[in-house]
Amino acid sequence: MKPNDIFAYAFSAIKLRKLRAGLTTLGVVIGIAAIVALLSITQGLQIAIASQLQKGFATDTLIVSAGGGLGGGADSGFSLLVNDTQTISQIENVTAALAIIQRIGYIKTANGTRRATILGVDFAAYKEIYSSTFIAEDGADIPSNPESNALVVGKRISDPWGNGTMFCRAGDTVEILWANTTARPLRNESYTGNVVAVLQEVGGFSVGGPSDNSIYIPISKAQGFFGTEKCEMIIVKLKSDDKATIESTAKTIRNLFGRQVTVTSSTAVLNIISSVFSTIELFLAGIAAISLLVAGIGIMNIMIVSLMERTREIGILKALGMKNHTVLLIFLTEAAIIGLMGALIGVGTGWALAELVVRIFSANGGGFGVRQSGQAALAGGIAITPVLTPTVLLGAIAFGLLVSVVFALYPAWRASRLKPVEALRYE
Amino acid sequence: MTMVVEAVNLKKVYMLGKVPVEALRGVNLKVEEGEFLSVLGPSGSGKSTLLNLIGALDKPTDGKVFVDGVDVSTLNENELASLRRKIGFVFQFFNLIPRFTALENVELPMAIAGVGKEERRKRAAELLETVGLADRMNHKPTELSGGEQQRVAIARALTNNPRFLLMDEPTGNIDSKNAYEIIQLVKRLNREKGVTIIMVTHDQRLASEANRTVHMLDGLIVKEAMNKA
Repeated sequence: MKPNDIFAYAFSAIKLRKLRAGLTTLGVVIGIAAIVALLSITQGLQIAIASQLQKGFATDTLIVSAGGGLGGGADSGFSLLVNDTQTISQIENVTAALAIIQRIGYIKTANGTRRATILGVDFAAYKEIYSSTFIAEDGADIPSNPESNALVVGKRISDPWGNGTMFCRAGDTVEILWANTTARPLRNESYTGNVVAVLQEVGGFSVGGPSDNSIYIPISKAQGFFGTEKCEMIIVKLKSDDKATIESTAKTIRNLFGRQVTVTSSTAVLNIISSVFSTIELFLAGIAAISLLVAGIGIMNIMIVSLMERTREIGILKALGMKNHTVLLIFLTEAAIIGLMGALIGVGTGWALAELVVRIFSANGGGFGVRQSGQAALAGGIAITPVLTPTVLLGAIAFGLLVSVVFALYPAWRASRLKPVEALRYE
Repeated sequence: MTMVVEAVNLKKVYMLGKVPVEALRGVNLKVEEGEFLSVLGPSGSGKSTLLNLIGALDKPTDGKVFVDGVDVSTLNENELASLRRKIGFVFQFFNLIPRFTALENVELPMAIAGVGKEERRKRAAELLETVGLADRMNHKPTELSGGEQQRVAIARALTNNPRFLLMDEPTGNIDSKNAYEIIQLVKRLNREKGVTIIMVTHDQRLASEANRTVHMLDGLIVKEAMNKA
């Protein structure tokens, strides 16, 4: 029997039972749609996070922190000092080093009090390292040699709700509060500062670089106000962002501090994030694949029912000279048609579903921190666009087809083995 | 004359649950090319079993069946399928595919044999004309009378130029007027086109339409007679 005749025959059998075939196809559609939707959202999220990271985290910088690094770790008692920057600046390939003192404090204005991260930085060096993000929103200049009580605030400090209801503006006089827990008895420290600039929106989050929820004060003021010479991290700017430079400099810095510090590069963070996402993707795809297996069992079930109903028909075909493997092929082709249709519709549905989910979440104000770019800014939001890679697209179609055919193997084999006499006698 | 079918000491034992049933107990039969043979017997006499064995739909317990000189018992499944393409089956219950039109049903054996679309459409149309259904080609079985359905089945049986037609109670499900027309058609095919026919029936009158009749009883051929033309 010619392939196109086999196909036509299989198709005519499917057409005969439209509702049943439709429901079976729906099973495949749901499985494939789940896979495609989950993967395209996850991949979109990954890309969004990676691009945010690259923006808020210059690729030619290293972050030096004491002990276990970004993730923390056991306290060895070692601390980085603000003037360690002088030592680090001497290292080859380093163009600048900047210490950051970081505390959680409060900012008080006529509109109330808000909790915020306060960072003591050298404005001039910070401007140089994060030249694309440490910029005032109205284009105003951030002073390189600020007054001691100068403040730069992030966009979310100035406009916390993203709707134009201002908490503070450039030029405001505000009060900075900090609970000094090292003093006995505990003491609330405070001073009056001037907001000299509001940063333009950075979006998302950042490691080391400017963020929308932070307040920046001069490093000398931070040393005095927080009463410390220790710093939480040192940002190191390199001559280039090539891998060799990053690695050799990181090693030099680690050795310099007797391996008491962790040196993190943006590339390393990106790698960690992408490996985390690979695991998440695998996990989600695995869950979705289970629904496809259920669909496969549905196909098997339907094929066995079909086999029983068509026993006599198979007997006729065999009496007319059809070979066993042709009977097998007809049944497999039926499953393949259902699988392929289901997979194609499933990919479309999954894609639409991903778009819908992203839209719903961004409309609701970022349930998991999502928003569409260009819309009103939402606190901590990052823009996600679902991404459907050709690998996912073709993989999903192939997987749908494969599952359908594999589950049809047994019924198809049974059909092919039917004895013509018995099949013809079947009522 | 060429021998189309030869059965030698053919035996078939079925297991009915745990009880063995001897359906055939040693049948010898020869059918020559161009013959119109009827096999007459009451139900349970083994005539349908004989038909299934001759049609290569089933395998004998003992003895041999030669179709066109080939020992059927030596053939594998694929070869049996190929052999069946040289045999035209006509069943009591027509056994047409309900979702196909008359034309498509007649095309089916040719499609199975790998004949191209145009050629088989042309031949199917010719055959339907031969059986007198030129104007009913695009009707589905449910839209056809029993007699018409059986004509479609006969046309289908003729598609691959079979060595012989095997008919199992071909008029068993048709009213007497149509049954008469069917048997006239069968006789005409035999007389004018030289088609060899083996017909199984329990109907004495129908059996007597053939050139020769063998009588079966309890799994044996008990009587053989030539009929008047």
